[in-house]
Amino acid sequence: MEGKIIVITSGKGGVGKTTATASIGAALAMENKKVAVIDMDIGLRNLDVVMGLENRIVFNIVDAVNGKCKVQQAAIKDRKIDNLFLIPASQSDNKNVISPAAMKNFCKELRTEFDFVLLDCPAGIEQGFENSVVGADEAIVICTPEVSAVRDADRVIGLLYAKSVLPKLLVNRIVPEMVARGDMLSHEDVVDVLSIDLIGLVPMDDNVVISTNTGAHLIHNKQSQAGKAFRRIAMRLNGNADLPIEVPRAKKGFWGKLGFKRGRNK
Amino acid sequence: MIEGLFKKLFGKEKSKDAAKKRLKLALVYDKLDVSDDLITNLHQDIVDVISKYFIIDKESIKLDIKRSDNSSSLILNTPILSTRRSQSA
Ligand SMILES: Nc1ncnc2c1ncn2[C@@H]1O[C@H](COP(=O)(O)OP(=O)(O)OP(=O)(O)O)[C@@H](O)[C@H]1O
Ligand SMILES: [Mg+2]
Repeated sequence: MEGKIIVITSGKGGVGKTTATASIGAALAMENKKVAVIDMDIGLRNLDVVMGLENRIVFNIVDAVNGKCKVQQAAIKDRKIDNLFLIPASQSDNKNVISPAAMKNFCKELRTEFDFVLLDCPAGIEQGFENSVVGADEAIVICTPEVSAVRDADRVIGLLYAKSVLPKLLVNRIVPEMVARGDMLSHEDVVDVLSIDLIGLVPMDDNVVISTNTGAHLIHNKQSQAGKAFRRIAMRLNGNADLPIEVPRAKKGFWGKLGFKRGRNK
Repeated sequence: MIEGLFKKLFGKEKSKDAAKKRLKLALVYDKLDVSDDLITNLHQDIVDVISKYFIIDKESIKLDIKRSDNSSSLILNTPILSTRRSQSA
């Protein structure tokens, strides 16, 4: 077994890396793959709370990389989904306690143990980014349809190419109503500016916050459009590369049904 | 087309168009901004090329990147002292 290691990164903070890591990881595990999601945000761990596993932590990624425990000891089994494991970040250490060389080595071991490994990269392009990228086979770059996020994505994409890690783009927090009005960059605009292939489009969705509140899996919420988008991304990663990318659409509310207001801007 | 008409009628650009324009420019500028080395090397190469044709004051040549609303341009300003006879034909 030779697993695939995918780093989820963005440059800019708060665009949805942790949310995407948890949801895509869960969806891949639901497709019967053995999956590890790893929190690389040392000192500011969050993936554990998003997944509702915060009170099961014994060992962490620093212990595992530095040989203080085995991979199997650091990997916490998910409560709901078989085949899904979390390796949490350490909360007390500093980012430099892991070296890129040690991380690269550790990635080799991970490949023998899991089908997919998703690395939740910290924001920024410093050591935490280096450590997350060094052993990765591919990257998912996340941005929101905003000037600052797209600019940072461009920077990160350049760095990834320089390291021969192939990136694909995930545009998160799309508000279709704003796109229709011309008040938000469309995914076409973003792709045009960044010249990169898409892996998926995820709408703004209240269910993200709601499921994070309880530590439940977003992909288990059948109402969630974001959850659905993440499931489709997982299918694309899992050998179904040509699955069409759905563009988030405005909800058909009162005004939408009348075809009024929005129609004018077409 | 309808978009253009809409714009003419209401004279207002969509905010996302402004965002896209600014982004494209920022990315160009970010890449130009990357290294002082590039500008220094470019400066030297330009001086060398121009010196083949003109006698110029190498000290007073100025190279700038200027941004306007829609584009960035490279602006070169150099006083010419005289042409080089041998090259003028
Ligand atoms: N599609 C979405 N719809 C609504 N809210 C979202 C969506 N994606 C992310 N969020 C919210 O945005 C915030 C930031 O998300 P998240 O923590 O995943 O970002 P991050 O990139 O991991 O941040 P950091 O850089 O700090 O690690 C969270 O509050 C999350 O619930
Ligand atoms: Mg995060």
